[in-house]
Parts: sequence; C-alpha cells; structure tokens
Amino acid sequence: MGISSWLKERIPVSGDQLRELTNEPVPNHLRHWWFCLGGTPAYLFVIQIVTGILLAFYYEPSSRTAYNSVKYITDEAAYGWYFRSVHKWGATLMIAAVILHQMRVFFTGAYRKPRELNWMIGMCLLLLTLIAGFTGYSLVYEQLSYWGTTVGANIGASVPVVGDLSKQMLLGGETYNERTLSRLYIIHAAILPVLTIVLLGLHITLIRLQGVSELKFSSEKEGEPAHFNFFPDHLLTEIKIGLVLMILLSVLATVLPATLGPRADPLSTPEVIKPEWFFYVAFRWLKLFSGTFAVITTGFIVFTMFVWPFIDSFLRRRKGLEEASVWVGILAVLSIVGLTVWEAAVAH
Amino acid sequence: MSEHPETPVPPQEDGELDRRGFLARASAYAMGAGLVTSYGCFAAMAGRYLYPARPAPKAWMYVAEVAGFGVGSSLTYTAPDGATVAVARQKSAGNVDDFIALSSTCPHLGCKVHWEGQNQRFFCPCHNGVFDPSGAPVSGPPFEAGQSLPRFPLRIEGGLLYIEVGLEGLPTGEE
Ligand code: HEM
Ligand code: FES
Repeated sequence: MGISSWLKERIPVSGDQLRELTNEPVPNHLRHWWFCLGGTPAYLFVIQIVTGILLAFYYEPSSRTAYNSVKYITDEAAYGWYFRSVHKWGATLMIAAVILHQMRVFFTGAYRKPRELNWMIGMCLLLLTLIAGFTGYSLVYEQLSYWGTTVGANIGASVPVVGDLSKQMLLGGETYNERTLSRLYIIHAAILPVLTIVLLGLHITLIRLQGVSELKFSSEKEGEPAHFNFFPDHLLTEIKIGLVLMILLSVLATVLPATLGPRADPLSTPEVIKPEWFFYVAFRWLKLFSGTFAVITTGFIVFTMFVWPFIDSFLRRRKGLEEASVWVGILAVLSIVGLTVWEAAVAH
Repeated sequence: MSEHPETPVPPQEDGELDRRGFLARASAYAMGAGLVTSYGCFAAMAGRYLYPARPAPKAWMYVAEVAGFGVGSSLTYTAPDGATVAVARQKSAGNVDDFIALSSTCPHLGCKVHWEGQNQRFFCPCHNGVFDPSGAPVSGPPFEAGQSLPRFPLRIEGGLLYIEVGLEGLPTGEE
C-alpha cells in the first residue's frame, strides 16, 4: 500500500474536497495588490509569533534581569540582533498595515451591512495590536520603556470609575514594582497573541461566510467572469506579498537595527520622553487637553469608530448626507497625520 | 421503539405535560446556574489572585535631630526604596508643622521632578510641570489641575524627626 492511500484511509478527505473547502471565489479587484493589505497584518502576525518565541528563549522578565537579557540578545546571541530587529520592525509594519487595511475598508465602504460585526472585530484587532506594541516596548526596560509604562499606566488611571483598577491590574500595585514586568510579559507574549488568534479566526470565518465585498472597475469589460480562484491564484499573490515583506523586514533590520538606550532608572526621568510613533496622536491629544477631558474624548472617539457602520447607515438615509462618511474619513486621516507630525516635530 | 423517554408523546392531560415541561426547564436552569456559579467562582478567585496582594510596605525612619535643624535649611533624605526626599524646615515653632518633606514624584502622571538650583524651582520634564520650593504648582499641567508635589508624612518623637517612606524599591544601576 502506498503512502498516499495509507494517509487517505486515516484522513478521509480528497484533494477535490480540500479544494472545495478552501476555494472561495475571489472578486477580481483583488488582483490589485493594494486590496490584499488585509493579508499583510496576518502574515506579519505570524512573523511576530515566530520571532517573539525566539526572543523568549533568552528574555528574562524581571527588573533585575530584563535589560541585560535584551542586551545579551542584541550583542551576544548569534543573530539575536536580527531577530530582535525583525520583531521590532514587524511590530511597526504590522501597525501600519492594520491602519492601511482599515483605511481601505473604510473608504470602499466595505464595513456596511452585513459586515458591521467584522468591522468591530477589526477594531478589536487594531486595539490589541496597539496594546501589544505598548507592552512589548515596555519589556526592553530601557529608560523610555520604564517611563512610558509609568506615564501610560497613570493616563489609564485617570479614566473615570475603572481607571484605578486597570492601573493596579496592569502594574500589579500602586506603582511600577518588582512584580510589574512579569505581568507585562505574560500580557504581551500570551494573552494578547491568544486573543488575536481567536479574533483573527472569527474575522476570517466571517469573511468566508459573507464573501469579500465586490467592487467594479470601469476598465473591466461586461460579461467577463467577476471572480478568480483563491487557490492557487490568490494564494500565489499572498506568497509574493509575504516574500516582499520578508525582504523588506530583513533590509530594515540590517540597516536600522533595534537599539538599546540607557537602563531604566526609577529615580530620574529623562529630559525628553516620547512613546513609540503610533501613540504620537494620543500623546499630542493628551498634551492639548487636561487629563480627564482628553481621556474621555479619546474613549469617545474610539467608541465612535467602533459603531461607525451604524452611524454611517443612519447618515446615508438622510438626504444630502449620503457621502458624509468619505468626508469624515478624510478629516480623520488628516487629523491623525497632523497630530502625529506635530508630536514628532517638537521635543515637548 | 422509544429509546429516549421524551420522544414519543402520547396524548396526555395538560397537567402531565406541564409538569414534564416544568421539570425539564427547571433542571436546565439549575444546570445553567450551577455552571455559572462554579466557573464564576473560578473567575472571581483568579481576579482576586491577580489583584495586587498588598500595598508596598512602609515604615517610619529617622531623619534628623530637630534641635540641629536650622530654620530655612534643608537636606536631602534618601529612603530605603531609593526615593530622594527634600526635607526643609520653614518655621521655628518646634512642632512637626515646621517641616515639609516633598516627594519628587510629579502629581500629574508620575514622572520624577528635579530641583533646578539656578531657577529655584522643581521641574518635571514630561510635560513641563513647574513647582516652587514649597511644592506648589507654578505652571504646566499640575498648575492647571491644582496639584502640588505630594508630601511625606512626618512625626517628631523625643526631639527626633521621623519620616514615613517606602521600604522596597526597584533595583537601580547595573546588577
Ligand atoms: C501581536 C503581535 C506582537 C507585537 C505587535 C509585538 C511587539 C513588540 C515590540 C514593539 C517589542 C519591543 C521591541 C524592541 O524594542 O526591542 C517587543 C518585544 C518582545 N516581544 Fe513582542 N510583539 C508581538 C508578539 C509577540 C509574541 C507572540 C511573543 C512571544 C511568544 C513576543 C515576545 C517578545 C519578547 C520576549 C520581547 C522582548 C525582547 C526584545 O525587546 O527584543 N512578542 N514586542
Ligand atoms: S508628569 Fe509631570 S508634568 Fe506630566
């Protein structure tokens, strides 16, 4: 008996059935690579898992050991600098990719009925990725990690009602203490990845159930088939995107490797403190307004983003407001870019 | 035929049906409640486990002799947890209200302020908070929110000045 028939007896599925299962018809507009940005964060997430597990072999999460273990990874472990830098650039690109993907979904109106729930799942994925970026950076235990975590936790504490509890749960005490890093670590390397996997699974299941939303380009002739096959055509596109990303990550990691600033000093705050670039928007916002007001408005904005599909459907039923979402989107993008550039340009 | 007792439903009096329906529903609810209670209990225990067990330990520590502490003079006290505390004597009444002990933790978002001798002020680099020598806010977010530098509790006993400070700090410097 050959291997294939041996296997077939134990795993009773045929090639045709497999093809049937995976072969979702893909709308033609996905021949354009910029519509495939949704696959990019997913691919980068896999990269984060692989490099994250590699880092975890040497990383030691305690205030006495964390900094030196990152130093060891960077300076001594063979290719440690490479994996650390890929993890860091992977995080940067992943956040950028999630944002770009979300902008694509927004401006093509792909969040509209019946895809409202998937938009909300996407919002959760965005928040999870941002929190992963925040907790990951805090693990390095350099000066900015430490003070970023302290300031971040205190911003959280100014949220009405649940603020103090969330700070206590994040830090494991009133302030940064001996038991803080292990918490941040388990949140970063276990809880967030597991939640992300679950939500990604739901996200993709819903896409499969509803199909990718259709778009027509004027260049397409009438009567041509509007779909092509997931397997192998679309899979090939994704493999190509994956390779390009891997090359990009390796080049970035080599040319601009992750650096290591001075070790955390709980007794002195550096002259200039900044979060990572993806929090510049929120950081500038917090400097513009007094604490509680800024925190409440931030929460309100995030909530609005969550329920946008419903606001949008309400607006589209009013005369003259049908296209409002485009203008809101443009305004939002401009404000985000504006606040980010502003924060990047000044020291304080 | 009937392997499952509930499959064949012979014509029955209403009372019989109600009782069966009631029993089935009651047992489903009971089971649901049992599941919720047991897993809920587990979740509550996990929540309590994760909630920080105890506040950081504190103790009263000796700072200086009151008699030798001139009015207008100040000293820097270093607590066991590493915190540096500016202790100053402002009056000569001889009681504890003569003294202030300022924390260097900014009341805004927790950064460390430092003393700028040439400007006679405490400065917080995070959002440009400024405090006068007594810890009152002068400008920046702490001023807008009316937050002074926190003070450590002081006590005089037998002519000696004591301060209540934290005992456990994070390690500083290379280990
Ligand atoms: C959701 C995806 C993830 C994102 C966005 C992310 C992001 C980050 C970031 C920004 C850093 C700081 C990098 C630096 O400055 O050196 C970091 C560090 C770290 N991450 Fe992740 N991470 C993710 C997933 C994971 C996973 C799944 C693991 C492990 C199973 C992991 C393990 C680590 C470790 C051990 C460090 C500390 C070592 C170091 O800084 O190089 N990460 N992460
Ligand atoms: S933390 Fe001191 S001014 Fe904000």
